[in-house]
Amino acid sequence: MRLEFRAIGKAFGELQALRDVTLNVAEFQSLAIIGPSGGGKTTLLRIIAGLETPETGQLSIDGQRLDFSEASLLLHRRSIGTVFQAYNLFPHLTARQNVMLPLVKVHDVAVGEARAIVDSLFERFQLSAHADRHPAELSGGQQQRVAIVRAIAIKPRFLIFDEPTSALDPEMTAEVLDFIAELRADGRNLIIVTHNMGFAREVSDHCLFIADGRVLEEGRSSELFSRPQNPLLVNFLAKVLRY
Amino acid sequence: MNRDGQVSLAATIVSWGLVALLVCAVFSFAFSELRYGWNWNAIWQYRQKFVQGWLMTVAISAAALLVSLLLGLLTALARRSALLPLRYLSMLYVESVRGTPLLVQILILFYVVANAFGVDNRYLVGVLTLSLFAGAYLSEMIRSGIESIRDSQLESARAIGLTRAQTYRYVIFPQVVRQLVPPLTGQFASIIKDSSLLSIIAVSEFTLNAQEVNAFTYSTLESYLPLAAGYLLLTLPISLASRALERRFHYAT
Amino acid sequence: MKAKLLLLAIVGLLTTALVPAAESAKPLIVGMELAYPPFEMTDTSGKPAGVSVDLATDLAKSLGRPVVIENTSFDGLIPALKTGKVDLVISSMTATPERAKSIDFSDPYLSTGLCLLLKKDSPAKSIADLDRAGVKVAVKKGTTGHLYATNKLKKATVLVLDKESAAVLEVSQGKADAFIYDQMSTYQNWQRNSATTRALLEPFQKEYWAVGIRQGNDELKRQVNAFLKDYRQKGGFEQLGDRYLKEMKDEFKRLGYSFFL
Repeated sequence: MRLEFRAIGKAFGELQALRDVTLNVAEFQSLAIIGPSGGGKTTLLRIIAGLETPETGQLSIDGQRLDFSEASLLLHRRSIGTVFQAYNLFPHLTARQNVMLPLVKVHDVAVGEARAIVDSLFERFQLSAHADRHPAELSGGQQQRVAIVRAIAIKPRFLIFDEPTSALDPEMTAEVLDFIAELRADGRNLIIVTHNMGFAREVSDHCLFIADGRVLEEGRSSELFSRPQNPLLVNFLAKVLRY
Repeated sequence: MNRDGQVSLAATIVSWGLVALLVCAVFSFAFSELRYGWNWNAIWQYRQKFVQGWLMTVAISAAALLVSLLLGLLTALARRSALLPLRYLSMLYVESVRGTPLLVQILILFYVVANAFGVDNRYLVGVLTLSLFAGAYLSEMIRSGIESIRDSQLESARAIGLTRAQTYRYVIFPQVVRQLVPPLTGQFASIIKDSSLLSIIAVSEFTLNAQEVNAFTYSTLESYLPLAAGYLLLTLPISLASRALERRFHYAT
Repeated sequence: MKAKLLLLAIVGLLTTALVPAAESAKPLIVGMELAYPPFEMTDTSGKPAGVSVDLATDLAKSLGRPVVIENTSFDGLIPALKTGKVDLVISSMTATPERAKSIDFSDPYLSTGLCLLLKKDSPAKSIADLDRAGVKVAVKKGTTGHLYATNKLKKATVLVLDKESAAVLEVSQGKADAFIYDQMSTYQNWQRNSATTRALLEPFQKEYWAVGIRQGNDELKRQVNAFLKDYRQKGGFEQLGDRYLKEMKDEFKRLGYSFFL
């Protein structure tokens, strides 16, 4: 897919989260967005996800300009899948009910058909045993995997991950990252914000480094990680990869 | 109790037996000191009054519960509304009701407000007064229930494309309703007990009827003990049901 | 006020300890509802005052015992007597056969009757006129008016209220067509609400007030009856009438009703 940013600017009160981001990200399947905390990467991701609207600028996805009116954003959000760091699922519903909710209530899929879709996805990703459990009865890793299934069940145009493993311990991190790697192998389009550099490097073919509200470097992941150009990026990678 | 805090059946029976024994001992002593001539016959003659009064209490309480639920819900939503006058009105309502005794509200609403509007039906005014009273408390419970739903859930709902109305319907309200079950049943029991205050405006409910029987027969204990038992008959099942429902809906958030 | 009486009681009890003749110094606890001027009421400082209070005080004096006034709601007086919380009930209570099943009465000391306080536009001319469907008759809980209404009024709705003031309010607001109560109070309530009420002051049921005594307490009953006889002979009731009910006495004389004390 392609992404085009033109003069995107977003402020939260006094804080300028994104300044004049202008960029044409050429054809990619999986995009990683990395950078220091507070640098603007989550803000940019949320704009792509249709959860924030920029004060200035335009965004085009696959050549189509994203209209920032609430009505059009609603449609946009319905067409993609977003997975947050935590608390994706609704605690009063079982895993199966959580995944069926958007299918039945947003995408008007018949209940029987929705159930079949969910069950087959659960089976594929080894979650069938948890189908009737509530989120409180699942581990963090299992919750995240169910959240991912919920995102893909509606056949989204692309998937967005906002630090999907930051709240998990190492063992569960692995199971979730494996899942995402599998999705990539399936050929799905992904946009991921992550702290995990190893993962970012593995799973993405393109990468953006955002700091201080600007895209300071972008390029093919193989290039960017092995031969970073921007001094801030060099610094950042050195720090992150130290341990 | 074993280490998990679970109690064996034998222990339960023995413990309740001891409690019953203690309570009976205390009451027997109290009554024996009373030099009281028991006269249950007189009460039996007036049993019709007890039954009618009890039924009236049930009817009034049920009506008040329904209306107060509606009022509580509307007030909770108004309290969160973007329209400021609506928000302030609901705040005023809740604070005045919670800050004054029910007895005072009954007297003012019937003898002053209803009188000004020419509404004479004391049963209607009684039910409305009870509803307004319970509604204020309910609205606070509902509001805190709504606000307790974490923002992250609302964000999640937004991300999967639910509209605001759908979010209320599928995410917020199902959880609020589950949360509300214990305090709501508590409120129902309160309504049942508070309805006894309506006797002050001559609503012929359970307490007033028992008082009348007492007035005719001078058999105070024989009138008031069944009165207490009658209320327990209503409130005990409610608290048992509440506990059962609580267990069913229990899950961590 | 209560502290003074309590002190009196304590002094009385102490006297009991010091003086061998124990029984006679025990306080005489008299129950009454202090909500019925000018018979049972409180003065501006909150102390019990009124005809019944003076009567109780004089009675206790004649028995050589200190008096303690227990303010109890009217429908709780007989239970209080039965359980021994009070020794006597002097609260403008009518002696009725039903009540006599539960407690004993002294000889009557006053005669009065049930009358009607009507809402201004009520066309009723007698109690019989009120026994119709749709008519609401207010009564005070536990009084003879309550009893009368429940037993004799078959078609009207009976509104049972806790307090005399509430019943009067109901009539003056037109929520009730009538209030059945004793002659004196009906007169006073009519005077105070002359714009919104009218009164039928000829009693439709004659009643006699007496002192309530616990069943079996024959010694006390004998003492009370002796006192009442003596008191009337000495003009005690005459004095009470002049002290508290002068105006009503004259007014009733003018209206042609016999005065009752």
